[in-house]
Amino acid sequence: MQVRDTNKSRRSIGVLAVICAVVQLALAPNIGIAAGRANVALVFVGLVALSIGGRTGVLAGFFGGLFFDLCTTGPMGLMTLLLTITSYVLGMEERNRLADELTGSLALFAGTDVIVSLIYGLAMLLVGQASSVGDVLASSVLPSALLTLICFVIFEYFLVGGFSGAGIGGGGRRGGGHYKLSGL
Amino acid sequence: MPRLSPGGIPSARVKRRNTDNGLRLATALTVISLVLFTMGSREGGSGPLTAVRGGFQIVTTPVRYVGSLISVPFQGIGNIASNLTADQETLSELRAKNAELTARNAELEEAQQTAKRLQSLLKLQDSYSLQSTAARIISGSTDSWNSTVTIDKGTLSGITVGMPVTDANGIIGQTIECGPTSSTVRLLDDEKSSVSAMIQKTRAQGMLKGSADGTLHLTMIGTDQTVEVGDIVVTSGLGGVFPKGLPMGTVSNVSKTSGKLYYDIEVGALSTTENFEEVLVITSLTEGQEASSEDIAAADAQDTQQSESGSSDEGAGSSASGADGQESGDQSDEG
Repeated sequence: MQVRDTNKSRRSIGVLAVICAVVQLALAPNIGIAAGRANVALVFVGLVALSIGGRTGVLAGFFGGLFFDLCTTGPMGLMTLLLTITSYVLGMEERNRLADELTGSLALFAGTDVIVSLIYGLAMLLVGQASSVGDVLASSVLPSALLTLICFVIFEYFLVGGFSGAGIGGGGRRGGGHYKLSGL
Repeated sequence: MPRLSPGGIPSARVKRRNTDNGLRLATALTVISLVLFTMGSREGGSGPLTAVRGGFQIVTTPVRYVGSLISVPFQGIGNIASNLTADQETLSELRAKNAELTARNAELEEAQQTAKRLQSLLKLQDSYSLQSTAARIISGSTDSWNSTVTIDKGTLSGITVGMPVTDANGIIGQTIECGPTSSTVRLLDDEKSSVSAMIQKTRAQGMLKGSADGTLHLTMIGTDQTVEVGDIVVTSGLGGVFPKGLPMGTVSNVSKTSGKLYYDIEVGALSTTENFEEVLVITSLTEGQEASSEDIAAADAQDTQQSESGSSDEGAGSSASGADGQESGDQSDEG
């Protein structure tokens, strides 16, 4: 029998959201490879969608994307749209995939990360904020995707599940994470 | 036995309802996102979404500021780490000790450099008679698509969109977004940056443009002009946004392709932007800082001469006497 503590889950998501917001605003601009910067909003959305999914994941996707759009000088609503769709797709199964199948979840996030960065880059080309596909790929999309993936792994290990399950989504194996946000 | 979910409702029912709601919610939020995207694309540089973004900037400025504070020691550690790597390969314990001492002195050196930069800024301000406001860089670019920095002064300090920004070495960019307490500066190496420029020695006029790979290119300089590696590139003052004669970079590479009317000129920037570096925002131009009628006539003559030489194979519609600002021009103060 699995019992969910919704309030604890909300608290954990709130704490995670605040940490991600601070990292996005304070650290991400100062750490980069080429022009690439980590998309911490995507990390937050990935963690919530893969741990809980469903309506919660979708809401996290929308507000995470909106936050990213407000932080940047890019077109408003673009990352909101991408992360809303991403969070729905990642969270369709509504279970703690991070705990149940970590490797698969990491691979899924890595793929999603590259796709989101690529679509965002192509959209920037279309709206005239970039001009060369090659430059977009080499200096923005790939470095950004790599940094985001590294960020996701760090967050997963230190804050969510510690590589061995049980995080904000709960219901999995526990142990490993040093500052774990255990929710449900 | 059915699994329990919140409120004791059988999980199968809850799951079906949540999935449906998730889909509906995702659809609704997707539509809202599309509306936001459309509104954002249409409203350009002013409108409700820009106002919301401005408000967001105010709220988040302290966090960005703290982030910059945190990153300063890391910049020092980064240098020390690279020194240590070199030491491990070639040097003794003495140099490692030296690196530790360097770390301890990093803060002091940073303060000393700040003082030097401030002195240079004052010198620049005096020598060019700049009407300006001092500011400090508090954050780099948040995303991967724009080369920008955020400074700690905004509309409350009299800063508006389109104002040139310099550091002690010369122009670094132009303000593109202004909140009450902070502003975003588009750097010269941004892909959308374009500034009227000229070679200081020969007065050949062109446009200094940024690129996605971060290099600067001086365009619209005809092959009948004389350009050499090491020549200093300064603002031409055409367009009336940037003061005339401020340095921007030095020519690092000149190439001439047969059949082309213009040189391919690569320019090395004079300035680098780091967190907490002091900058000057030029708030207005004084008499003599704008391009004179002779300069404008010279630029026109250069354009005419080049167009008579043959049809242009690059930059159709643009000219050396063009305006400063973004290529799209929607946030330039010249429209």
